[in-house]
Amino acid sequence: MFAKLAISGALVLLFAGGARAETIAEKAQVCAGCHGENGKPVDKTIPTIWGQQAGYLYIQLRDFKRGDRKSEIMQPIASTFERDDMLAIAEYFSQKPWPDLGQPRASKEVAEKAINASRSVGCPACHLDRFQGDGTVPRLAGMGRDYLAKTIADFRTRARANNPGMSDLMLATSPDDLAALVDYLAGL
Amino acid sequence: MSIMKGRAAFAAMIGVGLLSGVAIGQEVKQEQKSVVGNANVPPVTQEQLNAADKNAKDFLLTNGNYAQTRFYPGKQISRDNVKNLHVAWIFQTDVKESLETSPIVVDGVMFVTTSFSHVYALDAKTGQQLWHYAHKMGPITVYCCGPNNRGIQVLNDRVYLATLDSKLMALNAKTGEVVWTTNIADPELGYSETMAPTVIKDKVLIGTNGGEYGIRGFVRAYDAKTGKQLWNFNTIPENSVGVWATKDATGRDMHRNIQAEKDTLAKIGDPYAKLGGGVWQNPSVDLATNRIYFVVGNPSPDLDGSNRPGDNLYTNSLVSLDLETGKYVCHFQYIAHDVWDLDAVSPTVLVNVKGKDGKTIPGVIHAGKTGHIYVHDRKDCSMIRFSEAMVPQENMWVLPTKEGARMLPGANGGVEWSPIATDPGQELAYAINLHQPMTYHVENSPYPNGKLWLGGAFKVIPSEQQSGNITAVNYNTGKIKWQVKTPEPMIGGILATAGGLVFTGEGNGKFAAYNSSNGKELWSFRAGAGVNAPPSSYMIGGKQYIVVGAGGNTQLDYKRGNNIIAFTLD
Repeated sequence: MFAKLAISGALVLLFAGGARAETIAEKAQVCAGCHGENGKPVDKTIPTIWGQQAGYLYIQLRDFKRGDRKSEIMQPIASTFERDDMLAIAEYFSQKPWPDLGQPRASKEVAEKAINASRSVGCPACHLDRFQGDGTVPRLAGMGRDYLAKTIADFRTRARANNPGMSDLMLATSPDDLAALVDYLAGL
Repeated sequence: MSIMKGRAAFAAMIGVGLLSGVAIGQEVKQEQKSVVGNANVPPVTQEQLNAADKNAKDFLLTNGNYAQTRFYPGKQISRDNVKNLHVAWIFQTDVKESLETSPIVVDGVMFVTTSFSHVYALDAKTGQQLWHYAHKMGPITVYCCGPNNRGIQVLNDRVYLATLDSKLMALNAKTGEVVWTTNIADPELGYSETMAPTVIKDKVLIGTNGGEYGIRGFVRAYDAKTGKQLWNFNTIPENSVGVWATKDATGRDMHRNIQAEKDTLAKIGDPYAKLGGGVWQNPSVDLATNRIYFVVGNPSPDLDGSNRPGDNLYTNSLVSLDLETGKYVCHFQYIAHDVWDLDAVSPTVLVNVKGKDGKTIPGVIHAGKTGHIYVHDRKDCSMIRFSEAMVPQENMWVLPTKEGARMLPGANGGVEWSPIATDPGQELAYAINLHQPMTYHVENSPYPNGKLWLGGAFKVIPSEQQSGNITAVNYNTGKIKWQVKTPEPMIGGILATAGGLVFTGEGNGKFAAYNSSNGKELWSFRAGAGVNAPPSSYMIGGKQYIVVGAGGNTQLDYKRGNNIIAFTLD
């Protein structure tokens, strides 16, 4: 379904864009098909890219193109981009405001469990204070709950293969602790 | 077919929109701006730098002087009057994130740095900002342990800075304006900079971070006037195999399977190209012999040794080079084929030590993550002795497992990057330590193109009590003279003074002075954020000041802040 959305979005732009040079904002409209018109993804397993760290977005596009990160939707799109395209798109989305997905805050008990688990393997060392991310490390605070859960699960099976260090850390953390982390991060 | 058309057309449109997209991004990005100023700072000569160990007015080098003793020669603030120490001023930076800066003071002007590679010039008497260099960070930064910066150095009229996006820069010391910029290495492959450069004889010496990303480490010299590279020393030689050492520096068996490693070597060859070996703390410089001494960090990946057969030279080693040429002089490896990340990071210190025969010789000492202080002969890097362990050691060297094997110390040490201080008159070295019980986990994965490459995980055991300590070690006997326990693991650094004091801080915001002979606490202050940076000291108008950053720490998740706090007596 998402593939159809993405492709139809691209086709709409194709027809609209013939007469004049388009801004990056217009070009990036295709991304809205899945990632949302207002930055809120249309499906809960799709990541928020508005306000995400530019370096991270660039690396993901790069990895989709290389095939290091698998996605039937993103791989064909990214495979046509050059490095500068990816940097520009990444910068564009990084400047958008991070959307509030309205996810509930974790309970105190769950938050404590999550914080202990995150300190145990050193999550804040890369994702920084309050999980805001920086550079090539993503913001996790307020990310969609289902996307977080799916990503962690994919890291654990190495289906998400473009960051084996993350897989190692997720494998060293218990499913119980990871469930708490998902709730905690989604509610930040 | 229609899919292909759509995809190609979309790509073309993105390509057309490229330039405008960059422009939009730059317009809307709310960045902190540099503030050009006018700091009335005189040029710093090489002669001044050479004599920094005797200069109580200034604090010219990250660790006090080229020997890196962190022994400040002023003694106005003493054991008798330190109880009267109070805040002279507090400067709040624009960046509230991990602070690891060593304040540098030149004739009343202070230079401090913050996370994300900002530099401030301040009036060291009042804390007033003179200029602010806000580095325009590239989009690609890759670092494991916080966006830290540990400081700058000044030579002549230039301030030298290395940035998180792996650039080396010279700034105008008076104004903060950029004089030159040189790209050191590609951040996309895991290279970054957090250390202060060491500048000597028109050479800017710099290493690199990246031991968690499969880099090939180096130490380089750049021309201080132009930024042109003068020499490069790869910390991982093309023959990194070594002597198949089975025991660590202290004689403990490391449980290596040498035959399995030899079989792997025969299959894959020498793994030198992505073997890590970062150098991210300053070298000491022996002015008499023109040699530098530094320590090399862990191999990549940290915990999985299965695809890196051999001793992994020169990881986890003390290394000495010729300053003029960058040629190898000697090395000593503490842990061959490390699979615990218990590497060598705290900066080396040059002091005279008693050799094995009891005669005083030029020595070089280093505090390891293992919790030992190692004492070496400066001539050939050989080890003379190692100290009693400053932290609990248990189950060394159990190999990491999938489920996790418990071993002490944890992977942060012992002594992390925190510089030690020494008091040569008392023959003491002062180190701050961590005690963090951990399990060591191993996983196998191929080189991930500059991504985090741990080869497993080191995991704090939440149910076990953590703590820290300040330890004074007699480096001529290896015995612990005194130890003060702290409630949390310690990271940041320490300063010893001729006033008979040591100053250091904790993650809970406590900053305190201790009697350097017995560890008795004589004064303390609560900063409100973690004090996890090395203190400095200086004099203005006949008054001695102590200054330290209170910004917390990313790696240990200590409370963040943005304060530079100076203290003095009435």
